[in-house]
Amino acid sequence: MKKLTALALVLALAGSAFAQLSGTFTFGGSTTVAPIAYAAIEQFQKNNPGVKISYEATGSGAGLKALLAGQISLAGSSAEFSADQLMDGKPVVIALDGLSVVVNKNIKLANISRANLAKIYHGDISNWKDVGGPDLKIVVVNRDESSGTYAAFWELVCLKDFGKAVAYTKDAIVTKENGEVAAKVASTPGSIGYVGMAFADQVIKAGGRELQVDAVAPTVANVIAKKYPISRSLFLLTKGAPAAASVEKAFIDFVLSPKGQAIVKSVDYIPVPKK
Amino acid sequence: MKHRKLFERTAEGLLFACAALSVLAVILITVFLFQRGLSLFQKVSVLEFLGSTRWEPTAKVPGYGILSFIVGSFYVTGLALAFAVPIGLAVGIFLAELAEKRSSRIIHSTVELLAGIPSVIYGLFGIALISTITRSLFGGSGYSVLSASIVLAIMTLPTIISVTEVSLRAVPRELKEGSLALGATHWQTIVRVLVPAARSGIIAGVILGMGRAIGETMAVLMVGGNAPLMPKGLTGMVRTLTMNIITDMSYATGDHLTSLFATGIVLFVFILVLNLTVQVALKRSMAATEGGGGA
Repeated sequence: MKKLTALALVLALAGSAFAQLSGTFTFGGSTTVAPIAYAAIEQFQKNNPGVKISYEATGSGAGLKALLAGQISLAGSSAEFSADQLMDGKPVVIALDGLSVVVNKNIKLANISRANLAKIYHGDISNWKDVGGPDLKIVVVNRDESSGTYAAFWELVCLKDFGKAVAYTKDAIVTKENGEVAAKVASTPGSIGYVGMAFADQVIKAGGRELQVDAVAPTVANVIAKKYPISRSLFLLTKGAPAAASVEKAFIDFVLSPKGQAIVKSVDYIPVPKK
Repeated sequence: MKHRKLFERTAEGLLFACAALSVLAVILITVFLFQRGLSLFQKVSVLEFLGSTRWEPTAKVPGYGILSFIVGSFYVTGLALAFAVPIGLAVGIFLAELAEKRSSRIIHSTVELLAGIPSVIYGLFGIALISTITRSLFGGSGYSVLSASIVLAIMTLPTIISVTEVSLRAVPRELKEGSLALGATHWQTIVRVLVPAARSGIIAGVILGMGRAIGETMAVLMVGGNAPLMPKGLTGMVRTLTMNIITDMSYATGDHLTSLFATGIVLFVFILVLNLTVQVALKRSMAATEGGGGA
């Protein structure tokens, strides 16, 4: 206890005297935000030598849960939570992301319509021949429910035809990470999956393919122009508005600064367009 | 003299305290698990929980049926044992009776190494090799009951092999000598005398292996496919009780979280029953050996 008080005193002194930030912090949440978080934290720690931050990539839902429970002080999220879900969480948009639809290399398709994609994930289409491919069973690769990408994909692709409540086909491989989707799609013939655009490379390198959706390619220009149908915003969440001199506030400001946005770009996401 | 007694008393007490600690741990885990999980049954009937296949804990009208996962657990475990028992028995017999010292030593340490490999490595191996092989031989996505059972079979092998070997070696020498003296060949002695005499021990080993298989999480998670469905045949995807807990744990709240603890209770009861069976089997095997020695 004494140590803690002393530490707090030192922190307060340091904060007031030099406006220098220090301490150990745990952030966490979306696996999609993780590449931005890792790179930004590395740079942020260099700028503020007294600060130690860790980011646990557990999924957007898990991140929000941990944030509201006070286990972490900042959460990354790739889901647009409703006000009910957020409670006193405060979201800030830090980047844009498109979701890439990826298929195994044995599926020689270039394009798929959003409507067909919805039907595949709802379970109404289960053979590639129904969407112009070979006569082969579709192996659907999905994420688990804690994933923000899981919620976002339903919202962006399936909601229009199948309503608000998530009702993915249950006949799907359930994976826990973007990377696992990439690995499973790359190695399983006849498979289809969705990943953050930054992860599509992993599938392409392994010989897989990235599909156009409604004849629009998943490119940065198309996401910014809002032409590509499966795109979304990435957020950082704090519990309540962050205090003025807090590390959380400084970190969010850093990510939104030109340097931070350059990091966003360097990990293959799309910087927030200037208004 | 007095000092010595005091010292012995203290040592005894200390050891007893340590022993009590492990008992305490079991009790704490049991109480905790039941306390967190049982309240589910105020909202969902036991029959629905165990007998329904509708697992939709986040739907508007939530469904908490774990029948598919119970079936999945037993399906995968049973199949794994069907692969592992014949091979494990064969290796155990070979090590106890047939192998030369040198090869026995090499195989022995390899088997021990097999037991020490972390399950996540088995999972990676499963994704990279086993799911590819089962896919090309039997079709489907490769993430299936079959792949999961093969991985589990390899993981349970060490248990079955070592227990078989130990039980065979524990068979009294006289039995073997008697059999050979009566003119039986070595092979006849193994099949007709040694294995039956070691039967209870071997069964205990198989059940121990079954316990390991049913509780395994990481490796099956990586190759089972994890779809919350009743498994459809060998090439269908499977989700076991353990996979269900770990998949949903990170984000579950409220009744959903309680239902995961309830899933834990089911798993716990299964393991408990298995362990009790092992103890009964072992007791019987000990009694049999003593009887054999006396006669």
